[in-house]
Amino acid sequence: MGLETLLPEGILTTTVEKAVNWGRKNSLWPMPFGTACCAIELMGTLASRYDLSRFGSEVIRFSPRQADLMIVSGRISLKMMPVLLKIWEQMPEPKWCISMGACASCGGIFDNYAMIQGIDRFIPVDVYVPGCPPRPESVIDAIMEIQKKIDREKLKKRA
Amino acid sequence: MDPIDRLEERFADQVLDVREHAGQRFAHVKRDRIVELLRFLRDECGFDALADLTAVDYLNQGMPERFCVVYALYSFRHNSRTRLKAFVPEGDPEIESAAPLWKAALWAEREVFDMYGIRFRKHPDLRRILLPDDYEGHPLRKDYPLTGRGERMDFPRYVP
Repeated sequence: MGLETLLPEGILTTTVEKAVNWGRKNSLWPMPFGTACCAIELMGTLASRYDLSRFGSEVIRFSPRQADLMIVSGRISLKMMPVLLKIWEQMPEPKWCISMGACASCGGIFDNYAMIQGIDRFIPVDVYVPGCPPRPESVIDAIMEIQKKIDREKLKKRA
Repeated sequence: MDPIDRLEERFADQVLDVREHAGQRFAHVKRDRIVELLRFLRDECGFDALADLTAVDYLNQGMPERFCVVYALYSFRHNSRTRLKAFVPEGDPEIESAAPLWKAALWAEREVFDMYGIRFRKHPDLRRILLPDDYEGHPLRKDYPLTGRGERMDFPRYVP
């Protein structure tokens, strides 16, 4: 019937693309860029009840060099923006970004001289999570959206 | 005797007005000898703690001067609070620093400088505290626009 029926048990065939994407999406190591209240909700998501490490995010090291998913949780002020840019630049490819909460996505309720009105003005964001703060289930949904996005990626070029 | 009354008796030429609000008496004073007034309240009236140091911008509201530096004092011994409001003119926004009296004044005065532009003489390290060091303007003044002057858009876009 298929090639796999001729092979001994325990072997399956796939494409390199699918295998690489499967590996990447099931081992998303987050870089929690938590600045404000959303960070507390992120801590709740990472803790035991809503356990984010079920999705492969076992390693939460606050080092951009070892992460591939940056979760910006909290408002970003004028003083913090260069720091955010630097951390984003220090993350190696492939990398994705979740903008968690209203403040990171669009400035939230803080429309003033000191708050960045959405980090997507300066760094590329993959998934936005609305909420103030978003419930842990929303954050988990965002991780799953990233996983779906990674599934659709081609090996050829990562723009 | 009430500490504000003692203050008025001792420094009659410095006190502009004595008012009361919600059970708390406070005094409007001139800025010339503010450290002496604060020292008097701290050492002789028992107001040993500086609870807060902030400022108000009374633009076009009929006050003696445009700015006003507010010193909120608390006395642990008598469990009472009071306030001193020192008026600072717009053309010469300077007042002497209360840092020699209370360490708490150090950062509070930096914040007042950052937000209003009021300089504190003899402050050991007067620079911006909340905004970036190279920021121009003092945002909490009443004539500063709420959404700023474009600084929040002024960052480079990431190019992969």
